[in-house]
Amino acid sequence: MRAPLSWLREYVTVDAPADEIARRLSISSLEVERVIYVGVADVDGNLGRFLVGRVIAVEPHPNADRLRVCHVDVGEGEARQIVCGAWNFEAGATVAVALPGARLPILDVPLDERELRGQHSRGMILAEDEIGLGDDHAGIMVLAEGPEPGTPLVDVLPIHDRVLDVTPTINRVDLLSMVGLAREVSALFDGDFHPPAADDPAIVDREDVDVTVEDFGGCPRYIGRVFRDVSIGPSPQWLRSRLFLAEMRSISNVVDVTNYAMHVWGSPLHAFDRTRLAGARVVVRRARPGEELRTLDGTLRRLTTDDLMITDGERSVALAAIMGGEESEVTAETNEVLLEAANFEPLGILRSSERLALRTAGSNRWEKGVDPYLAEPAAVLASRMIVDLAGARMTGHVDVQSGLPERPVVRLRTDRASRLIGLVVAPDEQRSLLERLEFEVSPEWDVTVPTWRARDVTREVDVIEEVARVVLDRVPHTMPLRRHVRGRLSKDQRLRRLVEDVLVGAGLSEAYTWSLAASDPDSRAIRLPDPMTSDQAILRTTLFPGLIEAARTGLDAGAVDIALFEIARVYLPSDEQLPDEHWRVAGVVAGGYEAVKGVLEVLYAALQLDLRVERGQHSLLHPGKSATTEAGWLGELHPTLLDGVWGAFELDLTTLFAPVPERVVYEDVLTFPAVLQDIAVTVDEDVEAGALVDAAREAAGPLLREARVFDVYRGEQVGHGRKSVAIHLAFQSPERTLTEEEATAFRDEIVALLVERFGAELRA
Amino acid sequence: MQREVREFVATCHLAKGALVTSLTLMDPQALENDARAAVADASSTDDVERIRVEYLGRKSQLKLALREVRDRETGMALNALRERLAAAIDGREGELARAEIDRRLTEERVDVTMPGSPVRRGHLHLITQIRREVEDIFLGLGYTVVDGREVETTRYNFDALNFPDGHPSRSPLQTLFLDDDTVLRTETSPAQIRTMEAQGPPVYIVSLGRVYRRDTPDATHTPTFHQVEGLVVDEGITLADLMGTLDYLLKALFGEARRTEFRTHHFPFTEPSIEAHVSCHMCDGSGCPVCRHSGWIEIGGAGMVDPKLFEFVGYDSDRYTGFAFGWGLERIAVLRHGIPDLRELWRNDPRLLSQF
Ligand SMILES: [Zn+2]
Repeated sequence: MRAPLSWLREYVTVDAPADEIARRLSISSLEVERVIYVGVADVDGNLGRFLVGRVIAVEPHPNADRLRVCHVDVGEGEARQIVCGAWNFEAGATVAVALPGARLPILDVPLDERELRGQHSRGMILAEDEIGLGDDHAGIMVLAEGPEPGTPLVDVLPIHDRVLDVTPTINRVDLLSMVGLAREVSALFDGDFHPPAADDPAIVDREDVDVTVEDFGGCPRYIGRVFRDVSIGPSPQWLRSRLFLAEMRSISNVVDVTNYAMHVWGSPLHAFDRTRLAGARVVVRRARPGEELRTLDGTLRRLTTDDLMITDGERSVALAAIMGGEESEVTAETNEVLLEAANFEPLGILRSSERLALRTAGSNRWEKGVDPYLAEPAAVLASRMIVDLAGARMTGHVDVQSGLPERPVVRLRTDRASRLIGLVVAPDEQRSLLERLEFEVSPEWDVTVPTWRARDVTREVDVIEEVARVVLDRVPHTMPLRRHVRGRLSKDQRLRRLVEDVLVGAGLSEAYTWSLAASDPDSRAIRLPDPMTSDQAILRTTLFPGLIEAARTGLDAGAVDIALFEIARVYLPSDEQLPDEHWRVAGVVAGGYEAVKGVLEVLYAALQLDLRVERGQHSLLHPGKSATTEAGWLGELHPTLLDGVWGAFELDLTTLFAPVPERVVYEDVLTFPAVLQDIAVTVDEDVEAGALVDAAREAAGPLLREARVFDVYRGEQVGHGRKSVAIHLAFQSPERTLTEEEATAFRDEIVALLVERFGAELRA
Repeated sequence: MQREVREFVATCHLAKGALVTSLTLMDPQALENDARAAVADASSTDDVERIRVEYLGRKSQLKLALREVRDRETGMALNALRERLAAAIDGREGELARAEIDRRLTEERVDVTMPGSPVRRGHLHLITQIRREVEDIFLGLGYTVVDGREVETTRYNFDALNFPDGHPSRSPLQTLFLDDDTVLRTETSPAQIRTMEAQGPPVYIVSLGRVYRRDTPDATHTPTFHQVEGLVVDEGITLADLMGTLDYLLKALFGEARRTEFRTHHFPFTEPSIEAHVSCHMCDGSGCPVCRHSGWIEIGGAGMVDPKLFEFVGYDSDRYTGFAFGWGLERIAVLRHGIPDLRELWRNDPRLLSQF
């Protein structure tokens, strides 16, 4: 919302400059997006060069058909000659004049006295767009009669102003009004608050106003007022200017009045051409099935039975609280007006405006819950202005309502307020700031909430917030006492970091891929009923497709030696409401099975685990080059998935971490040296190296400290279908030095078992 | 092994010279003169080694003579000769070795600007780095880290957090639903509720992770992003404690020179609610494009835990008070590291990953 300060200062007396008002408001009340500087500059007496003038005489320009020569009294005794190109005024008009030397926002240099086609011109009669008060350039501004010639223009029009662009939070719809903002400023600066107090026009030639509310749930209050002899016309310049600065378009006096009163009080109003209402009645009800309405913006709206309608008993004339209908619109020919100052329930309005994708200044307020009491002052102000500006008579008034809500009463403990805030706020100060916000505070600290805050402030803590926000910039910065804390990561959290670090150290980079995927290898994977896009439709059960996609991004970027991992959750379908969420680590590395096996060996070693694998199958892997572990799988990526040769793995972290020892216990590997022996045996091609190592361990027992395959040889010497496997053996005892003979004995036992179990032949 | 080869060669050489290795025939003085001359002529440590074999090796004249010697006086003389020759050889070898090292040190050079042998290096994702940084800040303050879950019931994601009916977040226009009662969590706060349900006060936790909103991806929005949320519940927790904690966090993240400002706000789950702002780290508050010329940068929401949440989990809201805050990690990445487009954090282009 836009709040011109000149307007605001009409309702609150405060000396603080615009920036200070903006700063305090932004800390204690609402977001101030910016302070907009509008109008003419206030430098070097510039404002003094803008005066009210009265046109004494108008003559044709002798040398130019489009220009006229005016004599304008600006209070100097002698009239000034000013050449003017506008034709929308005659002698006697009150106008706005800029004197030579004036700086205008539209000119780079100060205004000059000059000759225009041979006629001297000592100033300029102003159009509204020339001083930032509008966008109309069809003619000059003709001001209302009243101010004497020579009156500073700034006293009549906001030609030098600051406009606050503010956005309240959803609970502060009361701040979507000039009165609400002025009250807030008065509370923050302890300034005098004087909201507009219009005299309600008297009803003349009283007539009945026929209003029926069929749905009080949707419309708790409806004030209807009737005006006759309405002269629709342009609004006076001051009103046009205020609306312009408040970012509203001037349409006609009556429509402008409804917008103005909404801006002042925050309760939206609507004006109908009463003669367009069948039987001059109003019935508030829900839309009928299949009903349609052409709204003011010219769009034909298809309605549902949830939409609240203003009808004339026969057909809908407005989409309640959102937008009027085209047919009952006030036009230049209108002379009877029905003014609606109602109250609408927020939720239904929100749903209708969301469904119709139609948000207006009105719906923006209603959907947040407008105070039903505000309908009345808004109606009074608008009525006064319609009578004053459109020469109308008010002939009828009705206030249909289902009862207005009670004001909440809350007991406040001022010491609790201080304790919750962490700043001692004296009870007197709490009382005074609450009263400035128009809360009533009894001697016993029963706080009665004003009607416009009744939805938001219902509990003691809500009242404490009122105190807290006003003193917010005085609250000190302290730290909680923290008497019982234990700041450490859980075992799994620590190990997750370790996995990240080890993989990064092994040259893998961490990727982030979406939890939602286009497809998933598990047909039971959970599918969103209404996904945003088909790319993000299924909760993944594997991290893997995302990483393939990431690797592909890398290839497309021309990267070589790509190695990626991710740690994230997968979502496995369960029989419960919520899926099983599991942390996984997965990786994709250039280089095939050996590459990924090497990475996992490093990872397992870092976790103090043995990597044990078995041949396995996985739909995403090369069938001859895939394996499983207790925690997951690894292998060479299926060649159809990605160009090149890639290794891949995915491990469940809970399973992986379960056997990780809490601590590593010292083992004496220093005192007694190991005895090293290597063997090479030939076996059939399908005997796995891991089986040979397992057998070696089985045969030799715990003194075989290390058994590692270091070479596999195939060739004529070993025969077709056979391979030679060389194994490095290290025997070591923590208690004594083993002899060569003992080691040889172990070695012989190993060989014997390999021969027996695998038909191995010893080569060396 | 090399030494044996050298001795073998030296012995052959002697045989060729047809010298008879006999004590009676050996002239110690001549031998010493020959040896010293040879030592003086040696031009490399290899030469010296050959000379050592020739004159002092197992099959040298001197060694043979020593083996045959019978009288003590001759033995002592020959031993003295052996020691003198050994000393001369050692001395010359030392000289030559030093000369050789000197020569290497003067002759050998590398182009120090050439690249080293490649070592593959991986990179933690920027968001992980920020996540750890935030975790460490709070671990240091004594908080624990809670993981929470990502698929949540509306009861934990909305009801327990006091989201009123009709709150925009409850709409399928903003939230991803699995069914009427199940959503992808829209903030990490359900973890706070689950933690409070599982334990009594005091509570000092942070919860970090993925959250989901129905946002069309653009430079500043991705439908999945990361939040950090903190929750403290204890006796005597104040709004001042919240501000002090956030001030500490913001200075840790953006620099000790930063100033913080807290502005009133509104959230369903906190009362009072505030929004934290930090003075712009780019312009230090004087105004620049990063702070949209305001000098301040909005970081995120916070507030005192609403008593309704305590009611939900069965805490005594008269005895305990608490604070909570929740921010996006991506916002820190954008502000502090200048990431221009959040979608890039999910594309995993190696050129971007390897920057951090
Ligand atoms: Zn800045």
